[in-house]
Amino acid sequence: MAEELKVLDRACLKIYELTMGACAASGGSRKKILKVGGQSAMPFLFEEGEIPHAPLIAAEVSDIVEDDCPFVLKNALKGLTDKPVDWAVEMMGEAGADLICLKLQGTHPDFGNKTSKEAVELVEGLLKKVETPLIVLGSGQADKDNDVLSAVSEATKGERLLFGDVVQENYKTLTAACIADGHNIIAESPIDVNIAKQLNILISDIGLPLDRIVINPTIGALGYGLEYAYSIMERARNAALAGDKMLAMPFICFVGQEAWRAKEAKVSESEWPGSGNADTRGIMWEVVTALAMLQAGADILTMRHPQAIRIVKKAIEDLMKR
Amino acid sequence: MDKCKVLFIPDNKTVVVEKGTTLLASAISCHIHLNAACGGDGVCGKCKVIIKKGDLHCEPSGKISLEERRRGIHLACQTLVESDMEVEIPHESRLDLSALSSDELKLRLRGVFAEAEDIFEAKPRLGDDIFSYAPLVSKFYLEILKPSFDDKTSDCERVARALEEKIGLVPHLTGLANIRKLGALLRSSDWKVTVAVAHKGIAPEIISIEPGDRADKNFGFAFDIGTTTISAQLVDLNKRVTLGTKATYNRQATFGADVISRIIYAQEEDGLEKLHHAVVDVVNEMIESFVEEYDIDLNDVMCLSVAGNTTMIHLLLRIDPTFIRQEPYVAVANLVPVFKASEVGVKVNPRGLLFCIPGVSSYVGGDITAGVVACDMHESKDINLLIDIGTNGEIALGNVDWMVSCAASAGPAFEGSGLTCGLRATRGAIETVKLQKNTLEVEIRTIGQDKPRGICGSGYIALLSELLRCGVLDKNGKINRTIKNKRVRSGDSGYEFVVIFKEDSSVEEDIVVTDADLDNLKRAKAAIYSGIAILVRHMEIDFNQIKKIFVAGGFGTSLNIDSSVQIGLLPDVVREKYIFVGNSSLAGARQSLLSTQASKICDEVAKNITTFELSADPQYMDEYMAALFFPHTDMARFPNVKYGN
Repeated sequence: MAEELKVLDRACLKIYELTMGACAASGGSRKKILKVGGQSAMPFLFEEGEIPHAPLIAAEVSDIVEDDCPFVLKNALKGLTDKPVDWAVEMMGEAGADLICLKLQGTHPDFGNKTSKEAVELVEGLLKKVETPLIVLGSGQADKDNDVLSAVSEATKGERLLFGDVVQENYKTLTAACIADGHNIIAESPIDVNIAKQLNILISDIGLPLDRIVINPTIGALGYGLEYAYSIMERARNAALAGDKMLAMPFICFVGQEAWRAKEAKVSESEWPGSGNADTRGIMWEVVTALAMLQAGADILTMRHPQAIRIVKKAIEDLMKR
Repeated sequence: MDKCKVLFIPDNKTVVVEKGTTLLASAISCHIHLNAACGGDGVCGKCKVIIKKGDLHCEPSGKISLEERRRGIHLACQTLVESDMEVEIPHESRLDLSALSSDELKLRLRGVFAEAEDIFEAKPRLGDDIFSYAPLVSKFYLEILKPSFDDKTSDCERVARALEEKIGLVPHLTGLANIRKLGALLRSSDWKVTVAVAHKGIAPEIISIEPGDRADKNFGFAFDIGTTTISAQLVDLNKRVTLGTKATYNRQATFGADVISRIIYAQEEDGLEKLHHAVVDVVNEMIESFVEEYDIDLNDVMCLSVAGNTTMIHLLLRIDPTFIRQEPYVAVANLVPVFKASEVGVKVNPRGLLFCIPGVSSYVGGDITAGVVACDMHESKDINLLIDIGTNGEIALGNVDWMVSCAASAGPAFEGSGLTCGLRATRGAIETVKLQKNTLEVEIRTIGQDKPRGICGSGYIALLSELLRCGVLDKNGKINRTIKNKRVRSGDSGYEFVVIFKEDSSVEEDIVVTDADLDNLKRAKAAIYSGIAILVRHMEIDFNQIKKIFVAGGFGTSLNIDSSVQIGLLPDVVREKYIFVGNSSLAGARQSLLSTQASKICDEVAKNITTFELSADPQYMDEYMAALFFPHTDMARFPNVKYGN
C-alpha cells in the first residue's frame, strides 16, 4: 500500500476577525465579548490552517410573532413569544444560545408599525438583561429600517453590536450609522458571489472597515436550495482564502427563519399523513440545515427551536475537537 | 370598411386609410417615418404626435403626461384613426432620414472618411492596397472580328474568343436574355461592344454586353448595413478611388431598435416585407443621391458589396430571419451566393450584381468578417482583438492561426436608444462631457457644435466616467442621493442628474441622465466587457498578450478610450494598444469590391472563425454579473482605474 497522501491547502489570506460587543473599558457595557472569523482554512480542516473561533449560535427572537408561527415552535416557546426579553433570557440560559438575534418585525408598517422609540426601549431593555452583544435586524422595509435601525444604533453607541441587513439598493444610511456609532454590519446578497463582493466594496467605500462586515449569503433550507447556498459560500470562502479580501468576511446564515418556512417543518401529521412525527420533524429540519451550513463555512447560525439549538451546539463542540 | 383621410402637417401629406389604422402605420404609408424604437408597442414613447382635428381611439399610456394629453399629444402607435384627421408631427418624433450633412459625416465617419488617410499612412496594411487589384466586376471594350464564310464561329463564342484574347481566361456568357439580344446588338453596334465581367465564380462570367465603349466608366458601391446606421461609399473601380461616403439611418428603426425586435416584427403579417422595403428604400435613395451628386450613369454601376450583421443581410435579401432567434440559433444562410441586384430590389444596372460579405454565424455577421479582413487580423502573427461596438457588440480575437468571435447583446444604449435623453450620434448630440469635481459644473461639446439636443453613446461614456470620478455615482452606478447640488434631484423615475438645463438645450427640456438610464448603460458595458473577457478566458491568454485592440463602430469614431476603460467597458491595458478603425465593416466591403482576392479571403475567414455562443456559455452569466459594477467586481482587472473617493 502506498503511503497515505495528504493534500494540504495553504491559504494566503485569513478571514477577517470580527469582534461583537464592547466592555466598559472600550466604551460599551457588555460583560461577554464574542469573536468570529480569523480562520485560514476551510471549515474544520484544522490541519490546513488556523480556526481560532467556534461558530456561534444566535437565538432568533422577534418583537412580534406572526399568527402562522408553526405550532411546534409555538409550543416550545409557550408563554415567551409576547415577551421578547424573557424569551431571549430563556434562550441564553436553558437552550444555550451564544447570543441573541433580535428581529424588529413589529416596526414594519404592515405588522404593527412600532416606532423607533419603542424599538430603542426594547433593545435597551434587552441589553440590561443579557451579558452578550446582540444582533439587531430591521423589518425589511427599507425606509422604516433606515429610521429605526439608525435610532437603535445611536442609542447603543459604543456597544459594538451587529446590525442588519443592508442590501445593494439600500446600504448607505445604516452603514453611515454603524460607522458613526462603532457597530458591525450584515451585508445581504441574493445567493450571488459577485453581488456579495460588490456590496462589500460599496460599504467599504463609505468607510466601514472590512473587519466589521458579516456576509449574509442568503440560504435555503434543506430541500429549498440548500446546495445552491452551499456552493456559493464555498466559492466565496475559497476566493477569500486565495486572497480576495473583499470576500474575506465571516458568514451569517439565517437557519431558523428558513428551516421553519419549509412545509416539512410546519405541517402536522394529520394534515400530511405518513410524513413522520411532526414534533421532531421541524426540529430535525432546522438541525440538518444548520449542520450543512456549518460545513459550508457559517460563522454565525441563527436558530429558533431550543431543542435544535442544543443539538447543534453539541455538534459544534464535537466538530471543534481537533 | 370606412375610409378616413389623414392630413399630416407640416408635411402637408394626406393619406387615405381604413378606419382603425394606427397613426404610425398611416404615417409610414405616406412615407413619413416616425421614431418608434419599440416597434409600435407603445413602450418607448418616442412617436408623440399632436392631434389637431378628428376623432380617435387611443390606448392610455404612461409615456404621456396629463399636461401633454391636454395639449392633444398622443402616441402615434397607440392611436387609431376614427375619422378624418389632422395631425402635427413634432420634429423630435421624426426619424431623420436625410443623408447626414458633410460636416457631420466627417465627424461620424472619421475612420473611413477623413481619418482614413491617417490610418492608411501609418499602417499601410490597413489600406486597400494589401490586396491585389482585381475588382469584382471589370469592364472591357471589345472590337470583335466580324464573321465571314471563312470564320463561321457563332456570335457567343466570338465574344468569348475576343475576351479570352484580352484577359487570357475562357469566359462564359450568362443570361438567356443577353444571348437573345446578342445577334442584333453586335450587328447594330458594328461589332464594337463593352462587356462587363464578374470574377466571383471559377470562370469569369460575362454579365452584360453594351454597345460602344463604356469601359472607362465602372463604378461600385460598398455598403455597411447596420442595425441603426447605414453607410455607403461610391468607388470608381477603374481608378480605385473612393469618390464619396454617406451615412444615414436605417429606416427599419421604425419597427424596433435591435435585431431581436426586428426579427419579431418580421414574423408579423407583412412584417418581413416592410422591413425589406425599408432597408432597400434607403439603399436606393443613397445610391440615387450619389448618382446625382457625382453625375454618373446608374447603368455604369455594376456591383455592390454589402457587409452587415446576419439579421440585416437576411432582411435585405428578404429571407425569413425567424430561426436566428430560435434555438439552436441558426441562420438560413451565412455564405450567400451572388445575386442580381435587381432581384433584391436595388436599383443599379439591371444586370449589376450584389455581393454579401459572408457571415460567421447567426449573431456574428459579415460586418465582423469584413472588419477582421480590413484590420488584417487573419494575417497577423500577433494576437489582435477587434471590438465592434454597435447595437450588438461583436468581438473577434485571434491571429493567422486561429480566430474566435462572439456577439454580446449590448442593446442600443451606446447608440443612444432606449435612454431618457438618448440620441444617435447626430447633430446636437453631446459627445464629450467634463465635470468640475466640487461644483459639478458641466462642460460639453456637441456634434456640429449645435445647441445640445440629447446625448449620444460616446457622450454617455464620458458622462459616466466623469460622474464616477466626481463621486456622483457609487460603484454600483447609483446616483448618490446625499449630494446637495441643483443638478442632483429626484425625478419621475428615481434620481437623476441634470447635464444641461432646458435654457441651454434646444429641446425645451432638461437633458438628464436617470438611475434607470445608468442601469441600462451598466448592463450594456457589462455585456461587451464580459464578451471580451469570455473570449480571452476561453483562449487561456492574458489581456497583455494582445498586441493591438481595434475599436470599430460608427460611434467608436469619437470614443474616448480612457473614459471607456474608466467605466469598465474596455480592458485596462496600455492605451497605445488601442487603434480606432472607424467603420471597419465598410472598409472591408470596399476592399472586397476592389479585389476578388479580398473577397475570397472574406469567404475563408468567415469559415475559419469559431463562434462562442454566449447564451449557452455557463461562465458568461458569472462574468456578466461580475461586470455589472464600476469598473468591475474584480478590481484587480482594472489596476489603473481610481475614482478618488
